[in-house]
Amino acid sequence: MATVLIEDLTKVYPPTINNPKQVQALGGLSMSITGNVFVAVVGPSGSGKTTLLNIVAGVELPTSGSVRALQEGVPARVGYVFQEPRLLPWRTVVDNMLYVQDRKSDRSRREAEFYLQMVGLGDVADLYPSQLSGGMQQRVGIARAFLVNPDVLLLDEPFSHLDALTGRSLRDYLQRIWLQSRKTALFVTHDVTEAVELADRIVMLRPGGVTYDDISIDLPRPRRHGDPAVRDIQDEVLRRFDAMGAAVRFGAEGV
Amino acid sequence: MGAPQDLGGFGPFDVRPTAEGATIRERLLRSPPFIGLLALALLLLIWQWIAWVNTRVPGIDEIVRFMVTEMSGGSHGGALTGEFWAPLATSMQRYAVGLAIGVPIGAALGLLIGAFRWARGLFNDTVLVLLALPAVVWAFLAALWFGLSAWGPILAVVLTVVPFMAVNLSAGVRNIEPGLIQMSRSFDVPFGRRFVHLLFGGSLPSGFTGLRLAFMTGWNSLLIVEWFGATSGVGWRARFWYDALRYPGFVGWIFLFVILITLLDRLLLSPLERRAFRWNQQPTLTFEEEL
Amino acid sequence: MSTVSTVTPGSVSELSARELRRAAWSRWGYRLSVVAGWVVFVGVWYLVARLVLTPQQLPQPHVVAVEAWDVLRLREFGGNFQASILRVAAGFLLALLLSVGLGLLIAYSRWWRRLLGRVLQFVVSIPTVSFAVLSLIVLGISPMGPILNTMIVATPYITTNLAQGLTGVDRRLIVMSESFGRTRAQIIVGVLIPSSLLSILGGARLAFAVAWRVALLTEIFASADGIGLQIRRSFESYDIQGMLAWALLFIVIMLLIENLVLRQVERRLSRWRTPATGVAP
Repeated sequence: MATVLIEDLTKVYPPTINNPKQVQALGGLSMSITGNVFVAVVGPSGSGKTTLLNIVAGVELPTSGSVRALQEGVPARVGYVFQEPRLLPWRTVVDNMLYVQDRKSDRSRREAEFYLQMVGLGDVADLYPSQLSGGMQQRVGIARAFLVNPDVLLLDEPFSHLDALTGRSLRDYLQRIWLQSRKTALFVTHDVTEAVELADRIVMLRPGGVTYDDISIDLPRPRRHGDPAVRDIQDEVLRRFDAMGAAVRFGAEGV
Repeated sequence: MGAPQDLGGFGPFDVRPTAEGATIRERLLRSPPFIGLLALALLLLIWQWIAWVNTRVPGIDEIVRFMVTEMSGGSHGGALTGEFWAPLATSMQRYAVGLAIGVPIGAALGLLIGAFRWARGLFNDTVLVLLALPAVVWAFLAALWFGLSAWGPILAVVLTVVPFMAVNLSAGVRNIEPGLIQMSRSFDVPFGRRFVHLLFGGSLPSGFTGLRLAFMTGWNSLLIVEWFGATSGVGWRARFWYDALRYPGFVGWIFLFVILITLLDRLLLSPLERRAFRWNQQPTLTFEEEL
Repeated sequence: MSTVSTVTPGSVSELSARELRRAAWSRWGYRLSVVAGWVVFVGVWYLVARLVLTPQQLPQPHVVAVEAWDVLRLREFGGNFQASILRVAAGFLLALLLSVGLGLLIAYSRWWRRLLGRVLQFVVSIPTVSFAVLSLIVLGISPMGPILNTMIVATPYITTNLAQGLTGVDRRLIVMSESFGRTRAQIIVGVLIPSSLLSILGGARLAFAVAWRVALLTEIFASADGIGLQIRRSFESYDIQGMLAWALLFIVIMLLIENLVLRQVERRLSRWRTPATGVAP
């Protein structure tokens, strides 16, 4: 069982030539995730969502605070789905999958093809990424993250670059493949609809990277788009965000 | 920005052409082979025109006649007989050895400079100095150091090839998208595989640019060394006929020199490049997005 | 991405100071490796000069430096240098004019653009030394050789980049201009030239780098004066010291023009291109 413990996480970017002010992406964020749950982190732009995932994935270092992603006490294996597909354009689809895989054998190739089939791409293994549509490339990205058999799955707004219809069909793929393995998932988005559709729990962030609110969602899966129960929770989350907006404005006027 | 290449893109005022409506004649007129031939004919025509105006300059017919005698080993009059394959083989051998030494060294240096900061600090300026020196300086130095031995031409080829490979490959590595590097790190891809698939694969396009430039400048400096300091090879033969005031021979060998590098590009580099860039095909297959 | 900066000022400035220190360390490490690189370069030069070759075959760096200083004060230097640089300038200007003419063909006709593209591709694939030696018989020993060769070699680079600039212009801007009833001339002045200027300048810089090398080469083969001739004379009298001194002086000056003057012009003209602001953290 995987756990992700985030304690008082701060990330400040030093000033650069293009941006002379230093920027605070995360300001003392704490949360803990235990077990095979799907957690959505929702917040407006500038609330440090991508930074949070990068730190959990170990590709960025925090300024202060700590992040521990553990599986039975040892560092957890991470599978990352990025905002853009991030495929090597000069490798075929299946080679892109095998690129992140440690074992090289017929079995790993079969596994790669299995996950490609799971996202409905069984027949494109030997094509190059440039021959696929954007939605198909993103599906390869999802399959790649599951292929490494991750203990923790990280998803960084994987549908935000796609049109609404494609995004919806990809969410169905994701939900189906997740239900089979039920990995601990940390899903970052600014879209309340997709968060409610996918998550067991929603953590709401405010600008500056601070937790604002935390809601559990206990609805049966697979959830249908437009279900009244889903819609009620959506409204609730949006209401709380509106209240936060008011609070932020009040705070600003108060000073 | 870059070296000349196909200019087939859309012009600012173009009306998009419709391929279906074109007649066979129109399609022939704009087919690449036809345009290629036309370009070649245009250049030859310009030469022929210069030959007309300037009596010192031999016409195409004279040049061809001379080179046929040269190839068949026939007599050029007097004690001079044709000699063709020996100088050609000598030059090709020197060229091949020079490339075989210079290209791997330059490529390794370029990958190092691109991948590691310390290597960049250590080697980058040296490579830029080497790049700035015109080939003729290397050629002269090589000729003076090695006299008439075969190592002078080979060294000149090596020294011109190395900086071109190094500069282009290191630029290629540095242009690899940061997102892909981050992706590799998040999946803990080990360094060896990252080197082969990410660094090497990602720098391949500029690697080919470097290779093409290296082939050309290497050939160039080979001719210079052979012209000034050798007793065999293509450059020596051209100089020989120049000194003998037999201009058709001189121009013939220079033309041959140009033809050889063009053939090398067409028959070796271009197919290799096409093979290496299968992933970059423009005509993207379209798939229906399933909903 | 808009981002909120500073919430708790004290702690934040302290933390970023630590990061700044880390960045400073890696900067110094890099500088150290650059210095080490130069030490190795000069060191290898000395070692090769003393151990592998004789000082006659490869003069030591300080000897070349002193020789270059002497050459610089010679009376012949000014005349030869002036001759060489004027030829480069003349050839380069001719190439610019020719490219503008060809650019008109490029802008208007797709067919001509293809044909021209092929011709230029071919010209560029001809090793430059061929032009140098051919000018020996076409023009003989004449100052026109370096000028014409400079023009021939520079034109493909300038024209190609001009064409790429023109074909790369955002067509939506042209459609927009046409929809507001702008004339062709207005579009050329208002849209085409500004948006392809950077590409043209980039091409010009590349062309200059090739051009002065060709001018030098042609002077070595077929000229009665100029820096190239001086290099050849030194070569023929086995004066390696003098050859390196003449060559280094010319190279350094050309590199200064290439990197300081042309790059500055490019930078000044590209000011409207604001750097990407607010890079997403």
